[in-house]
Amino acid sequence: MTPAEEPVPVPVLRLPRGPDGRGRGFESRRRHPARGEAEAQRARARLRRRFLRALAAARGRPARFWLRAGVRVDATFGAADREAAALLVEALRTPLGLQEAALLRGPDVLCFRFPLP
Amino acid sequence: MAMRQTPLTCSGHTRPVVDLAFSGVTPYGYFLISACKDGKPMLRQGDTGDWIGTFLGHKGAVWGATLNTDATKAATAAADFTAKVWDAVSGDELITLAHKHIVKSVDFTQDSNYLLTGGQDKLLRIYDLSKPEAEPDVVSGHTSGIKKALWSSDDKQILSADDKTVRLWDRSTMTEVKALNVAMSVSSMEYVPEGQILVITYGKTIAFHSAETLEQIKSFEAPATINSASLHPAKECLVAGGEDFKLYKYDYNTGEELESYKGHFGPIHCVRFSPDGELYASGSEDGTLRLWQTTVGKTYGLWKCVVPEEENAEAAKARTTLPGTAEEEIEDLASENSDTVYSSTPEVKA
Repeated sequence: MTPAEEPVPVPVLRLPRGPDGRGRGFESRRRHPARGEAEAQRARARLRRRFLRALAAARGRPARFWLRAGVRVDATFGAADREAAALLVEALRTPLGLQEAALLRGPDVLCFRFPLP
Repeated sequence: MAMRQTPLTCSGHTRPVVDLAFSGVTPYGYFLISACKDGKPMLRQGDTGDWIGTFLGHKGAVWGATLNTDATKAATAAADFTAKVWDAVSGDELITLAHKHIVKSVDFTQDSNYLLTGGQDKLLRIYDLSKPEAEPDVVSGHTSGIKKALWSSDDKQILSADDKTVRLWDRSTMTEVKALNVAMSVSSMEYVPEGQILVITYGKTIAFHSAETLEQIKSFEAPATINSASLHPAKECLVAGGEDFKLYKYDYNTGEELESYKGHFGPIHCVRFSPDGELYASGSEDGTLRLWQTTVGKTYGLWKCVVPEEENAEAAKARTTLPGTAEEEIEDLASENSDTVYSSTPEVKA
C-alpha cells in the first residue's frame, strides 16, 4: 500500500481516565446533580463564561475601580487570576502618586468600569 | 479515506479481567463493571471507559460482576465464597451473601428485587434483596460447578450453564424445564431478551439457541478457542474473543468474518456490546479492558472523526493565534473546541 492509501487510525480526544490512586472513587457519581441542578449548573457556566469574556475585554483598557471604604482609583486593567482574587493593574493613580504596576486584592474591589473600544 | 480501529485501553486492574457487564441506558449514560482476579471490581463510564470507582471488600478473586438496569446497584461473585450487593452510586457495600463455595455468577431481576447466584457448589440461589438475611430459594440439579446463571423470559425462567450442560428452569416451580448437552466445556453464555436468543461459546464454536426451547438456531466456527461472544442489539453482527488474543466480528446473518483485531496481550476472557451497540468492551488476561468501535471512524465517546480539511484548519489556527490581543483571548475563552485531537493513541503497556 502506498502511504496515501494506508488506513489512518481513528483519532481520539484522550485516553480513558484511570483510577486516581487516591481512594476508591465514586465522587463523580455522588456529586452528580439531579436534573434541576444540571440546569442551574448550565446557567452558572454561562455566567462564568460571560465574566471571563468581560475580563478579557478589559485587558489594556483604562478603568475606574471602586474599592471598600469609599476608595475610588483609576488604572489600566492588566489581568486577573482564575478566581479574580487578585487584579493586576498598571498606571494606578493613588494619592501617593502613580504606581507603575500594582495588585488589587479581589475582595477589596466592589466593582470596576471600563469603556469598550 | 480508510480508517483503522483505535481501541481505547482502560488500565487499573492488576490481574486478569474475567467478566464484564454493561448497565442499561440511564439519564446519565451507561456504565460498565469489570470483575478481576485482583478482587477489586471497578465501575467505569460506559462510553468513555473513564474509571468512576472501585468496589472494595472482597477477599478473593472476583469471578462475576453485574449492574442493575439503571446502574444504581452492582453485584459481584467471588472466590471468597460470597456474593455482594453494592450501591453503585456511592460504592458502599450493601449486602454480603455467604455461600458454601466459590461464587461464579450473579444476575439481578429487572426490578432489582432478586439476585440469582451460581457457583462451584452446583446450586442456584435466589435471594430476595428486601430480606437478605432470609434463606434463599435453592435450585439443585447441576452435576458440576455452575459457570453462569441468568434470568430469562421476563425473569420467569432461569438459564444456567455448567461444564457440559445448559439448563432451563422455571422459577415458580423451581424445576428443570429443559437441558442441553454441549460437546465441550461451555466458556460463556449471554441472554438476549429481544428475540429470546441464547449465545453460548464452547471450543471454537459460537452457537445461538432459542432461550425458550434451547433448540439451536445457528452456529459459527472461529479460528481459535473462543472464551466469550456477544450479539449486537440490532442482531446484525456479533463479536467474539478467546485464546489467540484477537477480537473477531462476524455478520450474524451470513457468518462472514467482517473484522478482526489484535491488541490484547493475553487471552480474551469476556466481550460485550454496549446497550446502544455503538461499542464493545473486551476483558483480558493482560489485566486491561479495551473499548472498540462497532462502526470504525464514527464520532462517538472519545473517538473523534476528523476530516482532513478540518484538521488542517485546526492546525493553522493554533499556529497563527497570537497572545495579547483581546479579540484572540475572547476567541480562546469562547472556543468549545479546545480539546487536542490525538491522531494515534499512545500505547499503554499492560
